[in-house]
Amino acid sequence: MSEEPLIRVDGVSKKFCKSLKHNMLYGAQDLARNFLGLPRGRAELRESEFWSLDDISFELKRGECLGLIGPNGAGKSTLLKILNGIIAPDRGRVETPRRVGALIEVGSGFHPMLTGRENIFVNSAILGFSKQETTRKFDEIVDFADIGDFIDSPVKHYSSGMHVRLGFAIAAQMQPDVLLIDEILAVGDAGFRSKCYNCIGRLAERSAVVFVSHAMPAVSRLSTRTMVLDHGKTSFHGHPAEAIAHYHRLFDNQMRPTRQGLGSACIHSLQVLDAAGCPVRSIVQGQGLTVRFGVRTDVAITNTCLDLVFVSIADEVVAECNNLVAGKTINLQAGSDIHVYVHIDSFSLNAGIYRISALVLSADMIMHYDWQKDIASIEVRADRVGVAGQQYRARWTLTDSPQETSK
Amino acid sequence: MAIEKIIYTPEGQFIAGQQGSCLKVRAMVSEAIGARELIWRLFLRDFRGRYRQSVLGIAWAVLLPFATVAVFVAMNRSGVLTIGDVGVPYPAYALTGLTYWSLFSTGLTACSISLINAGSMLTKINFPKSALVFSAGAQGIVEFLIRAVLTAGVFAWYGITPDWRGIGLGLLCVVPLCLLMFGLGFIVAIVGGIFRDVLNAINAVLAGLLVLTPILYPIRPDSLVAIMNTFNPINHLINVPRDLILYGASPTYTGFWITAILSALLLVTTWRLFFVAQARVLERV
Repeated sequence: MSEEPLIRVDGVSKKFCKSLKHNMLYGAQDLARNFLGLPRGRAELRESEFWSLDDISFELKRGECLGLIGPNGAGKSTLLKILNGIIAPDRGRVETPRRVGALIEVGSGFHPMLTGRENIFVNSAILGFSKQETTRKFDEIVDFADIGDFIDSPVKHYSSGMHVRLGFAIAAQMQPDVLLIDEILAVGDAGFRSKCYNCIGRLAERSAVVFVSHAMPAVSRLSTRTMVLDHGKTSFHGHPAEAIAHYHRLFDNQMRPTRQGLGSACIHSLQVLDAAGCPVRSIVQGQGLTVRFGVRTDVAITNTCLDLVFVSIADEVVAECNNLVAGKTINLQAGSDIHVYVHIDSFSLNAGIYRISALVLSADMIMHYDWQKDIASIEVRADRVGVAGQQYRARWTLTDSPQETSK
Repeated sequence: MAIEKIIYTPEGQFIAGQQGSCLKVRAMVSEAIGARELIWRLFLRDFRGRYRQSVLGIAWAVLLPFATVAVFVAMNRSGVLTIGDVGVPYPAYALTGLTYWSLFSTGLTACSISLINAGSMLTKINFPKSALVFSAGAQGIVEFLIRAVLTAGVFAWYGITPDWRGIGLGLLCVVPLCLLMFGLGFIVAIVGGIFRDVLNAINAVLAGLLVLTPILYPIRPDSLVAIMNTFNPINHLINVPRDLILYGASPTYTGFWITAILSALLLVTTWRLFFVAQARVLERV
């Protein structure tokens, strides 16, 4: 069924001003123009202004979910604010249904002195519910928030988690045509997060969703399409897995190798090779991979520790190859220059880009002879992005008998 | 079922398919009517929130005006105040004026900080922002009502027999003062959102206005202050209702009617300005 798009965003641009003084001046000028109904001034940038969003266009139908990703300051939240009608675009046009639900910093508008119970009524009114509706849904809200007796305590005594729980519980009562979500799932504990996911899933069925997240697993899971914003421009728009890979590459270009350590040993080269032995920058998830690096040392190191570390874009150490863990003893002679090949049968990290650091350490892993940070990177490609850092592709069998029958 | 759609453009927001004249004014009025429950909730929130975590709680809302009343009565009894003959005991005269004045000053001050106080809510949730100004102004109206009751007590204390018709008319004549308060309230809210200078300026202007306007003293018709006050809207909007309450009639109504009409026009203008400008201001609050 080809339904009419719910949201239509057409060439939307927004400029912001870096200097407070100019900001106030331009604000006054724009106000005067708006009020008198004069046409806006030339669309070009005035002094110290910049485009926070530049010519963004997309359409969304009911049931579709657009993920917005991009580095900090790319304009994601600005776009949400324009969709929400909080700020006006400087160019272009947005068409959206009236009933827009926003899960953006839920719980803003809570009065710290009032109890949770009182704030439910205030916040509901802000979101546009009538008193009757709120009264009817009150138990459901309290139940969802699950904050127990605290419902009758002033909100200022709430933990940040409880604050968000209550805020979300109220916002979740909306039945919007468009749902805007900004990084909401970064908060709350695991149990609450799963509740939120279920709730968003329920709301998303009958609305068009635009959501901003830095959590790639969530983007991969929720979005039907993903847009990468970079410096206010659409840098990619399409399939989530490709978009996520594109997003990761934005950071890859910024990678700066650094070197620390004593310097008496040196890892002077490092390549990633595929199963055929050719240098590669990316591999398909689950394929074999070899890391080749050269070590030159001025001093003798007995029972040395050679360490390869894989670091995700989120700066988490997700994998490591360590000869001591592998039970392989390596003694380096003074003045030697050797090549080391590390074979990995199935490289099954989650889809994404990983920076590789290489270290030459003493046996107790205390002395750092050389520490090459971010000396290389490897991209893992897959159609889906999983949640965990390690993705076992595994063998899957289905059977209706309790015993697995091998053929 | 067709879904009602809103269109956001650099020129403002429109409802898809809606046509005709005065689109903006119609939109802003229907927005305010739809937001009446929100206005009430926001008012309750601020009113209750202000007096929480205090031993006396909501009693403060009555105690502060009561203190002013007590001071005036005490000064009158000790003979400090020699204002001349105003036809009624001086405290009754002064407090009636102050009751009207408090509506204006409390309301305007609350309006000036209404956007700033809303904080992050403004940029996170899309709701009728005019509700913030209306609920702030309502604080002035409540202040007026509390003081009116206390002033009535003072009337009883001095044994003033009120002229019921005058009182009814006097209370009715508070409407233009409300219009003026909201009219100025919208403009100070939106300008104060961008320029914080407004918050300081308002206090200075209100303090000066209280002294210049014949609220606490009767005016000699030939003085310089009297000529200045011909152009002082507050003077007309406070003194005509007070004359009606105290004496049952006022010497002149011309200034009152002109000011009332101008106040209504001001409200329509600044409310529209607020409505048009809100998106532009919010990104700068």
